[in-house]
Parts: sequence; C-alpha cells; structure tokens
Amino acid sequence: MNRERYFLISGKTKDGIRIESRVLEDYIQKAVLNGHRHIRVKAFGQHGIGGRLWREDIDETVHIIIEGQSGQRAGSLGFPGTYLEIDGPASDDVGWLNAGAQIVVRGNASNGVANAMAQGKIYIAGNIGARGMTMTKRNPRFDPPEVWVLGSAGDYFGEFMAGGIAVICGHKPQSPENILGYRPLVGMVGGKVFFRGPHSGYSNADAKILDINDEQWSWLTDNLKIFLDKIEKPYLWDRFCDRRKWKLLSARSTTDRYIVKDKPMSAFRREVWNAELGKGGLIGDLTNIDRSIIPVIATGKMRRFIPKWENGFYLPPCQASCPTGIPVQQRWRLIREGLLDEAVNFALSYTPFPATVCGYLCPNLCMDSCTRIMAGMPSVDTRKLGQASLNAEIEMPPMKTGRKIAVLGGGPAGISVAWQLRMKGHEPVIYDTCEELGGKLTSLIPESRIPEPVLALELERIKKHISHVCIKQPLKKEDMLQLHENNDFIVIATGANKPKILPVPGKERMISSVDFLSMSKTGMINPGKQVVIIGAGNVGCDVATEAHRLGADQITLIDVQEPASFGREREEAEAIGAVFRWPVYTRAIIAGGVELNTGEVIPADTAVISIGDMPDLDFLPDNISIENGYIKVDRHYRTSDPKIFAIGDVTGPGLLTDSIGAGRKAANAMNDILDGRRPSTDSRQMIDKGRVSLEYFDPGIKIFENIKDCGTQCSSCGSCRDCSLCITICPQNAISRQDNKHSENGYEYSEDPDSCIGCGFCVQACPCGVWNLIENDQQV
Amino acid sequence: MQSVTKINPSTLSVKDLLWQVLWDSNKCTLCGKCVAVCPVNAIEPGVFRKRSIKVLPGLEEQAVSDYGIYYGIRQKTDSTCACVGCAMCNLVCPNNAITVCRSDEADKLKFHINKGGMPRNRGGRRNDSGSILDRIKFTRISMLTDPALDAGRHEFEMRTLLGRVLPPEENLKALTGKKNSWIPPVREIYPLIIGGMSFGALSPNMWEGLQMGVAYLNEELKMPVRISTGEGGCPPRLLKSRFLRYVILQIASGYFGWDEIIHALPHMKEDPCAIEIKYGQGAKPGDGGLLMWYKVNQLIAAIRGVPAGVSLPSPPTHQTQYSIEESVAKMIQSMCMAWGFRVPVYPKISASSTSLAVLNNLTRNPYAGGLAIDGEDGGTGAAYNVSMNHMGHPVASNVRDCYLNLVAIGMQNEIPIFAGGGIGKNGNLAANAAALIMLGASGVQTGKYIMQAAAGCLGSEADRCNICNIGRCPKGITSQDPRLYRRLDVEDVAQRIVDVFLSFDMELKKIMAPLGRSTALPVGMSDALGIDDRNAADRLKIGYVV
Repeated sequence: MNRERYFLISGKTKDGIRIESRVLEDYIQKAVLNGHRHIRVKAFGQHGIGGRLWREDIDETVHIIIEGQSGQRAGSLGFPGTYLEIDGPASDDVGWLNAGAQIVVRGNASNGVANAMAQGKIYIAGNIGARGMTMTKRNPRFDPPEVWVLGSAGDYFGEFMAGGIAVICGHKPQSPENILGYRPLVGMVGGKVFFRGPHSGYSNADAKILDINDEQWSWLTDNLKIFLDKIEKPYLWDRFCDRRKWKLLSARSTTDRYIVKDKPMSAFRREVWNAELGKGGLIGDLTNIDRSIIPVIATGKMRRFIPKWENGFYLPPCQASCPTGIPVQQRWRLIREGLLDEAVNFALSYTPFPATVCGYLCPNLCMDSCTRIMAGMPSVDTRKLGQASLNAEIEMPPMKTGRKIAVLGGGPAGISVAWQLRMKGHEPVIYDTCEELGGKLTSLIPESRIPEPVLALELERIKKHISHVCIKQPLKKEDMLQLHENNDFIVIATGANKPKILPVPGKERMISSVDFLSMSKTGMINPGKQVVIIGAGNVGCDVATEAHRLGADQITLIDVQEPASFGREREEAEAIGAVFRWPVYTRAIIAGGVELNTGEVIPADTAVISIGDMPDLDFLPDNISIENGYIKVDRHYRTSDPKIFAIGDVTGPGLLTDSIGAGRKAANAMNDILDGRRPSTDSRQMIDKGRVSLEYFDPGIKIFENIKDCGTQCSSCGSCRDCSLCITICPQNAISRQDNKHSENGYEYSEDPDSCIGCGFCVQACPCGVWNLIENDQQV
Repeated sequence: MQSVTKINPSTLSVKDLLWQVLWDSNKCTLCGKCVAVCPVNAIEPGVFRKRSIKVLPGLEEQAVSDYGIYYGIRQKTDSTCACVGCAMCNLVCPNNAITVCRSDEADKLKFHINKGGMPRNRGGRRNDSGSILDRIKFTRISMLTDPALDAGRHEFEMRTLLGRVLPPEENLKALTGKKNSWIPPVREIYPLIIGGMSFGALSPNMWEGLQMGVAYLNEELKMPVRISTGEGGCPPRLLKSRFLRYVILQIASGYFGWDEIIHALPHMKEDPCAIEIKYGQGAKPGDGGLLMWYKVNQLIAAIRGVPAGVSLPSPPTHQTQYSIEESVAKMIQSMCMAWGFRVPVYPKISASSTSLAVLNNLTRNPYAGGLAIDGEDGGTGAAYNVSMNHMGHPVASNVRDCYLNLVAIGMQNEIPIFAGGGIGKNGNLAANAAALIMLGASGVQTGKYIMQAAAGCLGSEADRCNICNIGRCPKGITSQDPRLYRRLDVEDVAQRIVDVFLSFDMELKKIMAPLGRSTALPVGMSDALGIDDRNAADRLKIGYVV
C-alpha cells in the first residue's frame, strides 16, 4: 500500500512542539479504534510506539510505520496482528515483552532487543547492541519468538534465554572477529541461536554447538528468504546459502547442563600433584606408610582394639586374698564338673587343715573378697566346702630327695611347712615339746569353735605322713647348732607363747589367756561367776566363751580402744552376754576385781589378761635378726641366716591361715633353692572385679543350700568356664574354641583377626572376665 | 551403676554427663559397631538382667519372679571416658538404634574433669554459638540507585592484596629509580585464606588434602587461594615444589621445622606467598601452641626436628624478644631477609586490647606486609578450657578499631588487615567474611569451617567432640593414628575444598553484587552494614537498623 495513503500521526503539534508519549499513544489507539489499519507515525523519540494494539474486535493486521526517531521500547508489549516497521535505526529494547507483533527495523537496533519477548518476530537489518535476545520465552501455546539480525549481536547476548530462535547472519558485523559479542548465552536454558561467523566463546555450561540437521536447514533457508524480503535485501541470499558457514547453538538440558566437568581430583592428583611432588605425594619421600582409605569399622591390623583370652592371667579375688593361697575357685570348677572328691582332695595340696581351718576356724577372707558381694549377693560358701573336706585324702610321693629339714614347732605353721616339704619328697621332721601335734589348735582353741573329732581326724591324716619328734626340753642354742649341722634347712615355727603382761599393781593376780584356755580345755580351771578379761580381741572373746561354758555369767571384756575382735569369736562372745567396755584403763588388780583408773572396780572372780603373746626367742643363734620381739624375715620367710626360715607367730601376730600360708610359701622357697632356682612367688595380680559380669547369677539366692549350688553360682573370676558365650555373642562370628594340650584346661578360645572388629562384646559378655580388650598398637 | 558400690564425690550418673547415649534395645542388632568406633570408649557392651514377675489372674497360684539376661550398650560414667557427643555410634549403626543427646541442664561433668588437679584441656572451639558477625546485616541493597549487579551473570574480580602497598608518590619515587629503592612485594590473592593448622595438629591425609585442594583451585580454576602452614614446619617436597607459591609459611615461638625450610631455600622453585609470624592465637591468647604427645609420631617428629612421643608446647612468646619494637622489627626484618625481601611478611596476633599498639608499630615499619588478627572464636587443636572459653577479644570490634585507626592516619590502603577467628562458626562463612571485609579487613582466615566442611569435623559450639588434642579424631582430621586418619581420603578433602571455595565465591558475589561492586572488594564499606543493636552499631560505627 502506498505510504502516502497511510493515516499520518505526527509526534509534534502544528506548532512544532513534541507530543508527550502518553498523548501520542492515545492518538494511535484512537486511530485504530476508528478503523485505521495503516498508520504512519512521525516519531520524535516517543516511548513504546506500536505496541499494545490489542482489540478483541480486530482480526485484521494493523500496519504501523515509524518514521524519524523511534524512541525506546518500540513495539513493546506487542500484540499479534501488529506489523511494525521502523524506518531507520531503533533505540533500546525494541520488541520488549513482545507477545506477537512482527517488527522490522531498517537499521541497527541498540541494547535490549527482544528482551523477554515470548512471541512474534523481529527483523533487524543491521547490528544489535548489548543484551539482545535476553530472557526470551517460549510458550507452548504459540510459535516461538524469532529475532533475525543481519549483522552481529552485542555483548551479553542471549542471557537467561529460555526460548525462541535467534538468527545472527554476520553480515557487516560491528566486530568482524566476533559476531556474538562478549559472554553470550550465560544462563541460557532454552531456545536456539543460528549464527554465521566467528565468535569468541559462549557459556559452555549453558549452551552447546550442534550440527544443523536437514529439517533445521530447510527451516532456516525458507525463513532467511522471508527475512531478506522483509528488510528488502533479497540479493544477499547468495552469500547466506552456504550451509557450512552456519552453526547452531542450543541450550543444554538440565541433565546435560553440567557435563562440562573440571578435571577430576584423582586425575589432578596423578597428573599434577604427584607429578610435581613425586610418588607418594606430599610426604612420599619421608615415609612409605600406607595412607589409603580404610572403612570406619576395620578388622585385622586396622582394628583399634583386640580381644585377648586371658585365662588364668589374674588371680581370682578369693585366691588372691587367701593367705594360704588356696585356688578356691578351681575347687568350685571341679564341683561344677561333678568331681566332688577331686575338689575336696585338691585342698590338701595347699593346706593340711582344709576342714579345721577353712571349715571352722578361718575368718574366710576368701569369702569377704568374693566378687559377688559387689552386687549385693552372698559370697559362695567356702566354709561348706571346708567342712566337706574332712575326708580328703592325698597320695604322698616317696621321700626321694634325701633333703632334711628340721621344723621347730608342731603348730599350724610347722605342720604346714612340713606338709608341703613332704609333698615335694623331702624329709621334714617336726620337733616339739608337746606330745600332741597341733600347737594352739590342740591346746588353746575351745572346742566350741572346732569339734574335737574334726581336728583329731585331720591330725591323724597329718601324722600318717609327717615325722614328729617330741623333745623333752625346750630348745637351746646348742641344739640349734646341732640341727644346723644335720639339716638342709631349719624352720622356726615355735609360735608366740609368752603372754604380754600389764605392769599394774596386783598383776600377779591375773591369769594369761594362754593359760586360761589350755586349762579350760582340760577342765582344770573354775573361773567363778564373774570374769573380767583385759583385752577384747578375738582371743579374749574365746576366753569369754570358755568362761561362760565353765559357769561364769557376768563376763566383761575391757579394752583401751575399740575392740579389734571380729567374726565368729566376737559374735559368740556377744551371744553369751559378755559386755564389752572401752576405753577403759586398768589401774590395779585387786582382790575381788579389776580397779579402773576412774576408781570403779569391776568385780571379778577371775581376771584374765589377753593383750597378746610374744614369741620366746632365747634359743635363737645370735646371727638371727629380731625386730620388735619377732624374727625378721624376707618375703620368702628367710631369716638373716639363709639356712634358717621362720614362719607363723614367731614372725608376728596373724591368723591361722597366715601361718599355713607362710608354711607353704617357705616350703616352696626351700624347694626352689634345693632345686637350684631362685625362690619364686606367684606374681599374678588379683583380677579387676569390674571385669566379671554378675548379671548371670541369681540375686534371689540368699543362702546356699549345698556346695553344688555354690559351684554353680561361682563367677569363676578370671578363669574360663568354657561356656562358649563369647562364641555366640560375637557379632562377627570371629571367636572359636580349639583344643590345646598346652593350655591348663586343654582348650583355648581365640579370635580371628580377619573377622574381629574389636567391639568388645566377648569381653563384656564373659561371665568370668577372661577376655580383655587391648588397644591395638601394632605398627601399621 | 551397682547400687551397692561406694560412691565418691566424682561419682556421676549418666544424667550428670553432658552427653547422654540413647540406646534402643528394640532396634539394636548387637553388631558391635558403635562400641568399636567410639573414640573415647564412652560406651561398652553390657550384660543386663531383667526381672519379670509372673502373676496369674485370680492369684490362686504363687506369683513367680523370673530373671532373664539380655545384652546391649551401656554408657560409662567415669569422667575419663565420658561421651563427647560425636555421635559416631549413630553414624555406624545400621539400625539407627543409638544416638546421643545433649543434657538439658548444666552438666556436672565440668566440676569433675580436673582429676589429679589438672584442669580440662581440649581441642576445638569456644563453645559459644553467639556471633556478632551473624547478626550484622547487609543493608545496602542497590536495586535502582547503583548499577546493581547480578552475582550469577556478572564477572567479579575477587582479589585482595597481601603486602605493604606504598602510597602512590612513594611508589613513583621508587619506580623512577633512586639507587637502592625498593618496592615491597604485594600478592594479589583470594580474600579467604585457610588459616594456620599445622602438620601435626592435622593428620597427614588432612594436610595433604587441604594443600591439594588449594593447588587445584589455583591451577585448574585460577582462584589464587592461599593456605597457611601453621606452626609445624612444611614437608620438604612441598617447599621444593611450584605449589609453594600457594603457601603462607608460618613461624611461631616453637620454631618447629624451620631448619628444613632453611635447607630447602636453595631448592625453592617459587617463593612462598608470604611469611606469617605468629605471636598469638585467638583460641588461646597468651598461651603458646601445643601438640600433645599422643600425636607426635616418628613422622611428625622428623618434620619438626624433635623426639617422638613428647608433648610439644610452644612458649607463649618468642624467646629472644623483649619489647614490641624488637619483637616486630627483628622478626619481620629476619623473615624478609630470608627471601631477599621478595616475600611479604606479616605478624599474626590474637585480638586484644593491645592490637592497636601492634598496628601502630607496624605503620612505622616499612617491611610490615600486613596484620592478621585472630579473634576469640578461633579454634585450636589443644588448649586449656579456660583459655579457650574466657581469654581473648572479639574480632569484629578489634578489626574495626584497627581499620579506623589506619583511616585516621591515612594508611587504610597500605597495611592490609586479615581477620580470623570464628568466621563461619555457625556456617555463615561468606556473610561473616563479607561483614569483616566491610568493617575493614582486607581478607579473612578460616580454619574450623574448613575442617567441618572439607573433612566432616563433628565439632559444634555445643561442646561436641572437641578431642582434637588427644589424637583420637573419629574423622581422622586431627589424628596421627593411621587407624583413624585412613578414614579420611585425601582426594575427598581436596574436592571438598574446591566445593567450599566455589560456593563461598558465589555467596560472596551474592553479597557484593547488590552493592554494585565487582572489581574491588568492598573493604571498609561499612555504610552497607547494619545491626539491630544500638550499642553494637555505635561501637562498630555501622548502621542501627530495626
């Protein structure tokens, strides 16, 4: 249509004054409303000319020609059915938010061409400025937007492009070396860019170059012709029709988007890091230690902890606290195994008095230390086991060594040492002034505490094996010389028989506890009704009990401090109504009573002094060291004369079990020396009771019915019960049981390093505390 | 706990401990992994006895008490093996049957963790989640006023300068060639520096991972990231490699490993980035470095030049210096001289009310290449609890005072200040860094964030884990035991370093872009900052916004 017939709207008034954009827009909209379909605008830089020509009643095309300065955002918010021609260069943002208009620019267009355009087509007969084709969209309801540029694109072309097609023909570009500008297509997520000419890179993360397929080429050539027609340059077709010069950039899909990866770290390590530093990297020259990755839960040498089957590594508390050193726990094991006789006989290896002492007279320190007490459960009852030992038997070896040992004193200590020496095949001989073996056991300890037949039976057993010489006279120094000459060793076990006396007026009126007890035993004393016992220890308690048996009914034990008596002696004294008083100081013994330093007199028919006894050491050779009235010995009970040992009360006050233990240890030491070894002792420590799991045992049991129950409830501290719980509990199935004839019980448990993770379940689950978890400090 | 055993004043219950192990017998499969992994043996397998009473309705028969045994996990209560909350048990548990829970009250353990009169010693952090940096907002968001930039689209030059910058006139004078004139060396580096963590404090895998990541950032991604060695020497191979230019060598009062550095000098292909002279550490101001004997194995001993198996304390001060002038001048001069005045040298001090005095001294010292200030929130491998929790100065106001002091004397562009200590302590690395930069720091140093992000350090501000000192780091970060540090893969650490810096970079851009800054860091651009606390705003001379 002839341009002259277009409806003309001027951007200036008749007076030459520029019309505001708002007013010009109003003129254009009204002209369209009034039926004009061809409008020519003489523009003077007015904003947004040619856009927004939307009317539902129009289905014809509205043709707009802009002459002069088109102003910014020409054709913006453009509507389908608008055909806008700009008769020269366009200002910024031509076709901004275009939703369907076709726009032809017959010159260059500046920045922002087609920004956010979603439909329509823009044909530019020149170059475009920065940020062309940015933010463009593609709505599936419509055809994609198209931007055709004859020349080149400016910088930041196609940023955040989400759809549409741009065609950059590269004809007379602004910068011949780069027709796509600086940093094109950053953030591109959709659409295509056909271009023809050199470029200097694009956002590789967002876009990629594709080959143009036949369909695309066909579309391109068809539409190129249209473009060239629109801009009235069809003669350029010949230049554009070489397919090889065209390229296509397309947005990467999300999955395709990050395909451009930087160098993998492993490759960097190999090709850069180690290449520069050398094999082994940073410290490869300093160490060849393996630093490769291991799992958090490791096995073998990479475990942090290793379980160890420490069967018998430690002493059970009962054995550790038994002065005699009887492996009580082993006896319970035998009982669990149904070997009652063996359990009973076993004790005789350690004591000649399993019944008398363990069963009656011992305060049973083994029971006091029993691990079970930790959980408030009664200790297993050794007393029962002791009493059952009355019929124990032992096979003694022949006296084969020819070694002679003189044992002076036939009390518990002397008997013990002789017993042990005899078991080792030596020839001990006990020398005692008494006709009867047994020392205090026989002469002093009241029958109330030890039934006479029990002691008699055990003494009989002893006599079967031990030689006893009854000497008429107390020993003298000359006798010692003789014995020294004739024996390999002498053991002094003469006890403490010299009562300590209180240096108070009337002291001659007192009777010593030793005399009292030995006379009471033979019925040779009548204490009367009122008895005062000075010294309220256990011996004093025995005196009290005996006095009561002999008819006394008002018995008082006095002491300068809180009485040291304990256990059954104390209980029995209290049971017969004896009164304990302390602190009380004796001023004198008067006829009829004991006078205290307060002036009070406690009436007494008999006053007994019971503050301890001292050994009689007059017979000792001069080379024997004495300390505080007792013979000084080393830990093997050796005196300052290496050929002379001393045990029992001559070395200091103690329990029966102390004396028996001393005898055993001294015998072991002598045996070692006779065999040419250094004397040794059991260096094992007591097991940490915390290692034992007591949860397995029945807390409901308060009293043991029989020794079988005791065996069952013994936690076997530190000694494997062979229950194989560890095998079951191990989550890695790493523990197994093997026969091992070198092992004490003929078997052992072990872990497989390749399976074990060092969790310690075996350790904690073990009822006996045999397994231990040890930090793995192997070099790796 | 056995009720019949005696208690003592330090007998604690599980409830008394800071961390309680929660174990679910229904889910537990008794696999043993939790007890195998626990770094402090806080849990052990347990044998439990359970009593149940069987009563028949109607009560016609005698009720029966029935004991059963079951197995499970028991938490120990001894203070020497109290749970540290690392939750490795939970990590390895296949059934999620075990986890840890922090006490809901002040724990009693803290009153008893001084057995033998030895106060608590630990690694980690201050255990105070408060952070003034987190509270600073960037209030200057240019939408229309400045050319607002798009962090994702625009290009940014994220560089800062490390080294003494001469004023233009002096620079010109030096350039125009007076005889013996000298222009101090200046490095253009990335503003986030990995702060000093020694070879020894860290495991070999961790240390190599950090270095490898830094090398990758430089060589593959062209990010000029730098890392300080900390005080523990430097493996000779690194000294002789081209990677040395990415490394800031630290010298501190223990002088560990410096003979190796001297021996390597003739073989160096590159100068190091800089020399950092450590005078103080934010985590334990006034106290020297400490590497406990657990961690001094043959390798560490060799690099440090000490016997193995001994604790290595560094004295609180450099031993041969008796005044600030001497300390600063003598050390800086010596270190400059070692590399022919080609390498920037700067001191690192713990933030302190005396920081200004140090700074003023540096302004008069032409060889001083900057000042690193380490605030109270700095981390450490080993320190007394009291030093960590109660000693030191917050970094924000300290850096601010120093910067404003430089402004007052017109030298704010000449001596860069690097801030460290608690940056990113709650995970906000870029925001904290940007805040400090806008308060006046030319760059920041960070260590703990790197440990957490690059190696999965379990520490938090809730007294979690914190056992770096004893070498039992369950992630293998601060352990010298191969059984632990071989859990850590060198390449994984390096890759995470790369991830951390790339994401930091993006976040920093997201903060800088709205300011319209893309070619220079907004050092001292405090008009962009605001805080909702009037006193803090006044103190820091930033906006008060509510």
